[in-house]
Order: sequence, then C-alpha cells, then structure tokens
Amino acid sequence: METVSIKIPAAPAYLQVVRLVAAGLAARLKFTLEDIEDLKIAVDELSAYLTGAQGRDGTLHVTFDVHDDRIEITGRGEFNSNYKIRTQLTELSQMILQTVVDNAQLSQADGIPSFSLVKSKGQ
Amino acid sequence: MTDRPQLDREEVRDLFARYGAATDEDDRVKLREQLVDQYIGLVEFLARRFRNRGEPLEDLVQVGTIGLLKAIERFDLDREVEFSTYATPTVVGELKRHFRDKGWAVRVPRRLQELHLELSKVVSELGQEIGRSPTVAEIADYTGQSEESVLEGLEIAQAYNFTSLDAPIDAENGTTSFADQLGSEDEHLENLEYRASLAPEMEKLPERERRILYLRFYRGLTQSEIADRLGISQMHVSRLLNRTLMHLREALEEE
Repeated sequence: METVSIKIPAAPAYLQVVRLVAAGLAARLKFTLEDIEDLKIAVDELSAYLTGAQGRDGTLHVTFDVHDDRIEITGRGEFNSNYKIRTQLTELSQMILQTVVDNAQLSQADGIPSFSLVKSKGQ
Repeated sequence: MTDRPQLDREEVRDLFARYGAATDEDDRVKLREQLVDQYIGLVEFLARRFRNRGEPLEDLVQVGTIGLLKAIERFDLDREVEFSTYATPTVVGELKRHFRDKGWAVRVPRRLQELHLELSKVVSELGQEIGRSPTVAEIADYTGQSEESVLEGLEIAQAYNFTSLDAPIDAENGTTSFADQLGSEDEHLENLEYRASLAPEMEKLPERERRILYLRFYRGLTQSEIADRLGISQMHVSRLLNRTLMHLREALEEE
C-alpha cells in the first residue's frame, strides 16, 4: 500500500484538486472512466459536508491509501472555529454513495469531523 | 430557493404586453417586478454555473439580475422567441463581464476546449469498441495524449461546466425535447415514493436531470447506459449528473 496525502483550504473551490488527485491515483490502478467518475462524485458528496457551500476557516486534510485493487480515502476537517457540522448522511447522500462506492462514512471524533470511503476496482 | 410564480406562456406574454404599453411609472415598476419574479429562477440557474470562482452565489444572482432587467427592457414580443431563450445570453453576458472586469479568467482556454471535445468523442468510440468504459491509459493511448492531459480534459468539464446552457431551462414552456422522449417511464417517475421522503428539491429539477438521477441512483444504470438511452454522450451525462448533485447539495445547505 502507498499513501498520498494533501491539505487544502476547506473551501469548495479547492475540491477540484482533491478530485484530480483521486482521479490520478485511480487511473494508476487502471480504474475505468466510469469508476473514476463515481469516485469523484463520492469525494464531492462527502467533502461537501466538511467544507459546506461557503467553505470554512481551516484545512481539509485528505489521505489516499492506494492498494492494488482499491483506493481508500479519508478526509479530516481541521477547522479554526467550532462549526456545527452535520455528521449524519442524508438519505439522498446515502443512496448516492451506495451506488458509487463500496463503503462511505461520515463521523466525528474529538470535535474533528471526518469522512472515509472505499472504492474497489471494478471487474 | 425562491418559490417563483408559475405563469403560463400566455400570461407571461400578457404581462410583457402590459409592461410595454404601461406609461405610468408606478405601474411599470410593479409589472417589472412581476417579470423579474417570474424569471429569477433562470438567473439563479445561470448564476450557479459561475460558482466556485470565489464569488458568493447571492452576488452572482444580483449581477445576473442586472442582465435580466436589460433583457426585459429590450424584449420585443414580435420576435416570437421565448423570453428565457432571449434573456439567457444577456444574463450570461452580464455574469461574464462581471468576472472579466475583475480580471478573472472565465474563458476556458481553447486548448482545453478542444481537448475536451476530442475526449468526449473518443470516450464513446472506445466504449463501443471494447464494450465497457475505457481506462485513462486506454484513452491516452488512443488519442496520443498523456494520461495527465486526459485527466485534465475530463476534470475541466466539471470545473467550467461550459455546456450547461443546453440544459432544458425552458421546462416551464414545455419546449424541452427530452420531455417528449420520455414516454412510458414518465409514469414511474411520477409515482416514485422518493419524492416525498428523500428530497423535495428533486421535484424542482428539470426533467432530464431528474431522470438521469433516477436512472443512475435508483435504477443503478451506468453512465454509459444512461447516455445510450438519452442519446447523449457519457461525458455529457457525467456533467449533468455532477451539476445536479452540486445543486442538490446547495439546496440542502439552504434549508
């Protein structure tokens, strides 16, 4: 397993960078285009909970664990102030995530909200 | 989201006719307000395309509204085009000018536009050929581009969203060609229970977007399968899907 990690300002405008990294790593694993698109949708969907639509004061720390057959992504919102962040996926989000990735979670520990997802290479 | 009044085509025409004929300034202001209310949804829709460039959406809506007002002022009923069709370039123009004046690049570099168009073609050609969605390496091979350029080309669609103007924003006039194609599946859409429980926002989506969402997430069809059904490219499906999800996330936030 290899790990790639990036820190970006917790704002929607920077999510493009996360998507590009995710796509780049998935391409290395020879994911199909559709799997890559799915991965990007999941990254967007989960990150949106942490950054909010307006962005937040702080950093989004995203780690990509690259396995031979799958990619695992975790994101941590390291914010400078206390935001009330929804840590329960909406029904719609659940539906979307179920379709596009193997597993997706949103959680909060010690005041730090985070997400994780797993996407395997299709057959 | 504002709840915009839904006047039908005739009522809108009537409103424009009365506006054109009104001489009293108070009347004109009132009528103009009604027209703005009727089309503010269009402005919001267009303004959203310029999000993620560091400007709050409300500001963009305001800028777009200036365009809307200009279009209302210039609109001539004799032109026989729908107002929304007429107003769209004016509103977009106003938004673009806003960014240009600030010295921000809103234009997609030509190289990327071309790359994107080429990719869109190649993705469906290759997909047909190998019977599944291609990998980035395969696309790179086929086009002679580097994998990096391919990734860049794919991402660019999402970042700039430059094709969204062809979306059926005229749904209120019943002029969407997609609505015509829907046929029997339409009834399924109407009867879906998700509408009540999941996201009332989904109801407000244009027919095509709602349909793509439904096929992808409720029926589990792949993007290529949806593309085949709707007669558009997979990359176009991808763009519409991304935009719709973005829109839904935003709506959620505004709750």
